[in-house]
Amino acid sequence: MAAVELKGLSKRYGAAVAVDDVSLRVEHGQLVCLLGPSGCGKTTTLRLIAGFIEPSAGEIEVGGKVLSSPSRTVPPEGRKMSMIFQSYALWPHMTVAENVAYGLKIRKLDRATIDAKLKAILSTARLEALADRYPGELSGGQQQRVSLARALVVEPETLLLDEPLSNLDANLREEMRFEIRRLHDQYRYTTVYVTHDQAEAMTTADLIAVMNKGRVEQLGPPEEIYTRPRSEFVARFIGGSNVLAATALDEVRVSVAGGALRTTGRSLSAGRPVAVSVRQHEIGIALEPPSSGAENHLQGTVTRQVFLGSTRDYTVTLADGTELRVTAPPGRNIAPGQSVWLHLPAEQCRALAEE
Amino acid sequence: MTRGIDLSRPVLVAVAALLAVMIVLPVGWLLVVSLTSKEGGFTLANFATLFTDPTFVDPLVTTLIISCSVSAICCLVAAPLGWLVARTDMPLARTIRTLVMASLVTPPFVGAIAWEMLAAPNSGLLNQLWRLLSGMPPDEALFDIYSLGGLIFVISCYTFPYVFILVANALDRMPGELEDASSMLGAKTWQTARLITVPLALPTLLAGALVAFLQALNLFGSPAILAIPAGFHTLTTRIWSLFQFPPKPELAAAASVPLLVLTVLLLRAQAMALGRRGYAVLGGKYGAPRPIRLGWLRVPAVILALFVLAMPLFLPYAALFNSAFSRVASRIVGPDTITLHNVKFTFLELSSTMPALKNTFLLATASATLGALLALMIAYIVARKAMRGYRVLGFLATAPLAIPGIVLGVGLFLAYTRPPLALYGTLWILLIAFVTIELPAAYQQLGSAFHAVHPELEEAGRMLGATRLRTLADITAPLLRSAVIATWCFIFVATIRELSAAVILFTSETKVLSVLIFDLKESGDVGAIAVLSLTMVAITTIVIAAANRLHARPQARPA
Repeated sequence: MAAVELKGLSKRYGAAVAVDDVSLRVEHGQLVCLLGPSGCGKTTTLRLIAGFIEPSAGEIEVGGKVLSSPSRTVPPEGRKMSMIFQSYALWPHMTVAENVAYGLKIRKLDRATIDAKLKAILSTARLEALADRYPGELSGGQQQRVSLARALVVEPETLLLDEPLSNLDANLREEMRFEIRRLHDQYRYTTVYVTHDQAEAMTTADLIAVMNKGRVEQLGPPEEIYTRPRSEFVARFIGGSNVLAATALDEVRVSVAGGALRTTGRSLSAGRPVAVSVRQHEIGIALEPPSSGAENHLQGTVTRQVFLGSTRDYTVTLADGTELRVTAPPGRNIAPGQSVWLHLPAEQCRALAEE
Repeated sequence: MTRGIDLSRPVLVAVAALLAVMIVLPVGWLLVVSLTSKEGGFTLANFATLFTDPTFVDPLVTTLIISCSVSAICCLVAAPLGWLVARTDMPLARTIRTLVMASLVTPPFVGAIAWEMLAAPNSGLLNQLWRLLSGMPPDEALFDIYSLGGLIFVISCYTFPYVFILVANALDRMPGELEDASSMLGAKTWQTARLITVPLALPTLLAGALVAFLQALNLFGSPAILAIPAGFHTLTTRIWSLFQFPPKPELAAAASVPLLVLTVLLLRAQAMALGRRGYAVLGGKYGAPRPIRLGWLRVPAVILALFVLAMPLFLPYAALFNSAFSRVASRIVGPDTITLHNVKFTFLELSSTMPALKNTFLLATASATLGALLALMIAYIVARKAMRGYRVLGFLATAPLAIPGIVLGVGLFLAYTRPPLALYGTLWILLIAFVTIELPAAYQQLGSAFHAVHPELEEAGRMLGATRLRTLADITAPLLRSAVIATWCFIFVATIRELSAAVILFTSETKVLSVLIFDLKESGDVGAIAVLSLTMVAITTIVIAAANRLHARPQARPA
């Protein structure tokens, strides 16, 4: 096993840039998620790592050896990697056992070793009973497990996953998220995981790289990405955030909808426009005005209210028409039309980097 | 289902009756006559003759040898070529694919005539060229097209494109990730090809082999042109010879039965080969396959492909153009000797040209219109399950697929030379033949077009208050228009080229273009043959190009 390192990696198709100067280091045994909307370059990055395509610029190193560069690219079969495809790509003319044993046969292992390894992985993936079935006779979840078993049995140095759960229904998807994390904790392969689903990324990843327009917008542990988004794109994509258009008053304070907010995140220059993000469930909602002198309060009117069971979801319109989403405990019911005071704690108001 | 007047029963009965006239009657008479003795009693003597008389057994054996050889050659040529075009970075891949498709425009009997011009032992252009280069005496020949080998070669030239299209399409549709997954697990390119690609493509190749076998089995034109001068018969030419004076229809009927039975069996085998499906596509989006890098082999590969294409395309057309514009067909035409004499002769002096052209256009238009309408009706009824018994209709519309053209010709001859429908000698019998022959393909085309129009599109119209007929006019018809036009063109073209049924059913009053060309062979007027052949190919090309343009127009695709 080895670390995977991308250095200034770019891929251009004519004038279009699919991957733009991406640098990223995945430590030995780490699971990194490439997260982003479709067309952000995450799948192209993965296929570059796999060796299916050649970079236009930059390098890919695994364990200190250069595997990809514009001048030389080691073909996929020479990389000691495994990949799980979105479509699973199970071979329909082979049984489950034949599919899983394929990589071992290619490696010319002896019969007894193949049998032993096959038996072990089939039991880990709970597939023993299905060994003689053909892929066409399996359910989606079973196919997914065969695909996992086939990739893991060869004990790759690096494991690549391309949207592996997008073809499963919601219940199964949640179950498989934990399954993938469990298998990762068991085998500790260096893993690169591509997804557009933030919940999937949160559950499985050690590090998340949020990608947009071919670039890595932010790289960090899930908690940091969630609580401290650095750009408007990340704040919006991760979800659950309000992004307010404000104007800086001084180094830390901004004016928004006739009120003032103290922010964190970076130092501001007075008079410049600045985007401020604040999570829906960090906002306090109250009917009573705050005690005088209290900071970071804005007045507004409830325009919509939805009961969601464990929470209540409010839409509050401020004096200048700005709409804020607020997630509050379900116990208290404030009807639409009521005037309310919102508390946006200073440590939760993040001034975002300029686009 | 619809309220109000229930039209389903009369429509069903009418369509079923029509199909019976077209299919059941000819095949029925064929079987009856084959089991009837001259005196009118039941007999198996015709079949006894068939399987003992060497003049029947030999053609049967010859036909099987030809079919097996053609099938093998087609697979050997089409599979590598299809792979090169679909899966590698060979230059000109797109052009080569188009040219292979284009070689299908050539009617096989025209190809056979062109190869006569190229490789007849004495006058053949290739043999002349060889003698010129090697200094051999005039009675030496490099190629003899009038031979079993020559016939197999020519049939293969015009059959391998079918196999090619099947293989190339299958390779196109095969998800690239199936190969990528193998590469990721460490398999080298050739290991992936051997263990993944080839096994997945095998069912398609098997189906292709059967298609080629069937094609060779039921072909009439090429063997009639090449085998008869060489002094041997295939099953189809033998059946045809039984209609020459003195006619022996009862033997022709009996000889048609093995052809019919073999065709039915092979079609079943083919359905099984394709029905197992090379691969189940298991949800999700599949990536396009990565082309395989040929490296220094790119140039040899494209040269090989162009060499293969010379056989059905470049060489024959060179020969046809040469003969059309030369006073003496066996001389290579130069700037001084080029002449329009043959064109003038064919269109102005040859008395049978104009009637044949008129008959051909009349029949092609009528067959295309009637066939497309009939296919549309049946496809609608089957696709929307619009009435009870729709399955029977679908089956009947597909059944002619199993009836070789020459067998249908014999059956129609037997059925309609007697009351109550004595149609022999009229254009009607040819119309019935052509519509019947083209119905299965037309029905399949329109059936899949109906599948593409999701019923919910119609239901959405109904929910907004439109009647069933109104939705058909406002929604279904516009969506199907280009498919219907394409089907019409398809039948039109196929009718123009049809020879094997027409050659049994024509009379001097009802000659069509294909029969005229075939007939001119007897008088040996090579110039006129070349002109008429090129005319036929030109008409075909224009109609196909028109259909393609219509089809290529931006069409609302079902979301």
